[in-house]
Amino acid sequence: MSSLIGTVKLRETATNAGVVAEVYDGVDQSHLANWQTKWKPIIEATRLRLEQQGAKSALPQSSHWEWDKKAAHFQNLLAYRMFVVVCQGDTQGLMAVATDPRHRTRVADDKGRTGLGLAYVDYLESAPWNRPEHVAQPRFRGVGSILIATAVQLSLDESFKGRVGLHSLPQSEDFYRTNIGMADLGPDNTYANFPLRYFEMTEIAARAFIQGGKNEIESQ
Amino acid sequence: MNAKRTMTLNLTDAEMSALEQMAVAKDLTKTGVLRQALKLYQLIDARIASGEKVFVENALTKEKAELAIL
Repeated sequence: MSSLIGTVKLRETATNAGVVAEVYDGVDQSHLANWQTKWKPIIEATRLRLEQQGAKSALPQSSHWEWDKKAAHFQNLLAYRMFVVVCQGDTQGLMAVATDPRHRTRVADDKGRTGLGLAYVDYLESAPWNRPEHVAQPRFRGVGSILIATAVQLSLDESFKGRVGLHSLPQSEDFYRTNIGMADLGPDNTYANFPLRYFEMTEIAARAFIQGGKNEIESQ
Repeated sequence: MNAKRTMTLNLTDAEMSALEQMAVAKDLTKTGVLRQALKLYQLIDARIASGEKVFVENALTKEKAELAIL
């Protein structure tokens, strides 16, 4: 089940115009069908092109994510929430966030406390036509920032005061460090079988990120 | 983001005291603590229902013990 939680504006790169997009809480079959029929052929074409060029390592590291399987797994668990950005009828971005107590802050707050609740972004992916690894001119900018703003809003809603954490794929580290302004805590050797870098947004950083205004979601 | 429904909860003094202590320690409301507890309980229950076991590990000795869940 999916419900509209607000509208945002994405930047259309061809015209530099702001285009209204919708943010949904929950993934439905239309979002997944769009991923299946529109995202996957582009991802597959990029895979073949990079293989032919001998540059397979340049393939976006999220390319193997199967959102239909993630949705089926997460939809019945209270610990997870999924969000979707839709614009001009297409799924522009997908995100899965965990808000259960397995995930806790590592950066001390202003009272020196760690181990507090946060919204943990498990998966976040923008549509391939928005990414320069796939297309010469990306269609929209801002999908990733809007999804992080949505995670901040969820964190506020869960009484986590805007705190957000995530492990970043190597290709996305600079986005979280520079564009979003999250603290980079370095490689996490406890994460699965490979040490992805862990990033965290504190309560203060979350406030600054939202007050930046670019990512404001207009509630319905 | 999600509409919420209200319920009345009856707790013993000991339960209320534990809830209040958890709320302070975790910087959450009492409702927030209970929501967290429910999410974790459901998550563990789902994994056990699918045939998995839950273990706790001593950080120093690496000794593992199965966590029995009713």
